[in-house]
Formats: sequence, structure tokens, C-alpha cells
Amino acid sequence: MEKENWISTILNSINGITKVSPSDDLFFKIQNKIKRNNVSPKTVWLVAASIAILVLLNFTLLATKTKESSTTTTTYLENTLNQSNQIYQ
Amino acid sequence: MIDNQNHFEKIYREFHLLVFNVALNYLQNTEDAEEVTQDVFVKIYNSLNNFNQKSSHKTWIYRITINQCLDFLKQKNSQKRFFIFGKKSQNEQEYLNTSTFEHPGILLENQEDAALLFAVFNTLTENQKTAFLLSKLDGLSNPEIAEIMQLSISSVESLIFRAKASLQQKLAEKFNHYRKKK
Repeated sequence: MEKENWISTILNSINGITKVSPSDDLFFKIQNKIKRNNVSPKTVWLVAASIAILVLLNFTLLATKTKESSTTTTTYLENTLNQSNQIYQ
Repeated sequence: MIDNQNHFEKIYREFHLLVFNVALNYLQNTEDAEEVTQDVFVKIYNSLNNFNQKSSHKTWIYRITINQCLDFLKQKNSQKRFFIFGKKSQNEQEYLNTSTFEHPGILLENQEDAALLFAVFNTLTENQKTAFLLSKLDGLSNPEIAEIMQLSISSVESLIFRAKASLQQKLAEKFNHYRKKK
């Protein structure tokens, strides 16, 4: 009997529950979240184009540097070679 | 665009209490309930144009809220499992059983008993918990619950009946512990 009464008390403890209000700034938080989530396709394309240009610039710069360094090495070798073909002085 | 915004504000004013309270009863944490409420209204805003008038706004919003709560719990549970390096608990919601949640809408003298009941709620299956919470705390009728859960009325009746039986059984087990403490 005691057990049934106790169970019944626990089950009835939520009777008369009242609605709880969320914080007052919840609507502003939702609006901010909506704004953050709604990035326009134009912005997405702009970011993608910027990244593509950056990658292209990097490749061009790297290619120029490599070419320059190989030219310098060849010039140095040409200058230091004995051009007279005279082995004995 | 402005029309859409006005419509959204109207929906927020009408349903924010409903969404927040369902989330609070389900998640038993005020911060989590606010986070889920935000996500629910972002979803509502994004799908406002796609809303078909087959069901009422209320039913549609209830469905979004419950699904969002379930997703939130799954995500929280998987994060918790990851933290303990993948050790899977026996019961998916085991961590919630130790809840000491004090619902702000419950009378002060009932807080301790209600905290125990909320902890036992978490041992119910997803469907039993949803049906029981909507019936007991939101005061919805069985046909309304059936429409929200997209089940037959007899299934809802059965879910509520089994939920009550399960709660009584689990509380009976807790009674011995309570008597020892006394």
C-alpha cells in the first residue's frame, strides 16, 4: 500500500506544471543565426574566385622562380668553364 | 521578403512557448532547450515557403521540435561516447538517468519527486517517451499525438499504456532504495 501511494505521489508530482518562458533575447539570437546561415550565392562565388586567383598566382610565382634559378646556374657554369681549350699553359 | 519576415515573427510569437517547453521536457536542461528552440525556428524559417497546408502549423512545429530534440540527444550521446574513447553504454540514454533536473514550471514542494520522475522518463523508449510527454505534459489528445507521430490512434494508446506500466515498474524498483534512504 505504501509503495502504491509513493508511486502515485511521484507520478502526480508533475500535475499543474506551468509553461516556462525562454530568455527575452531568444528571438534576436534566432535572427542572428538565420543571417549567419543565409550566405548569398554571390558571396560564395566571390570567395571561391579569390581562392582560385590566389592559387594561380602562387603557381605562376613558383614557376618563374624555378626558371630563374636554373638560368642562373647555367650562366655560372658557362662563365667558369675554360673556353680556350688549352690544357697546358 | 518582408511578408515572410512578418509571417515568421507571427509564428514565433504564437509557438515559441510550445517549442521551448517541449524541448525543456525532453532534454531536461534550460540551455539545451534554448539551443534546440533556436535550431527549430531556423528550420521553420528556411522551410516556411515549402510548408504544405496538409497538416496544421502546430502539428508541423511539434514534429520539427521532437525530431530536433532526438537529433540533439543522439549528437550529445555520441560526443559523450567519443570522449570515453568509444565505450558504448548499455542503454543509449543511461547518462540521463542520473538527472537531477529541477523543472522551473513545477511547484517547489514537488521538485524532488518530479526530478525522480524525469530521471525515470529517460529509461523509456523514444516513442513511449514522446507519446507520454505529449499526453501528460502538453495535454494533447490521442488523435493529436497520432497525427504528430504519424502513427495510428491505437498505436499511441498502446505506447502510452506501456509507458505508464514501465514507469510504475521502474518506480517500484526505486521504492526500495527510497525506503532504505529513509
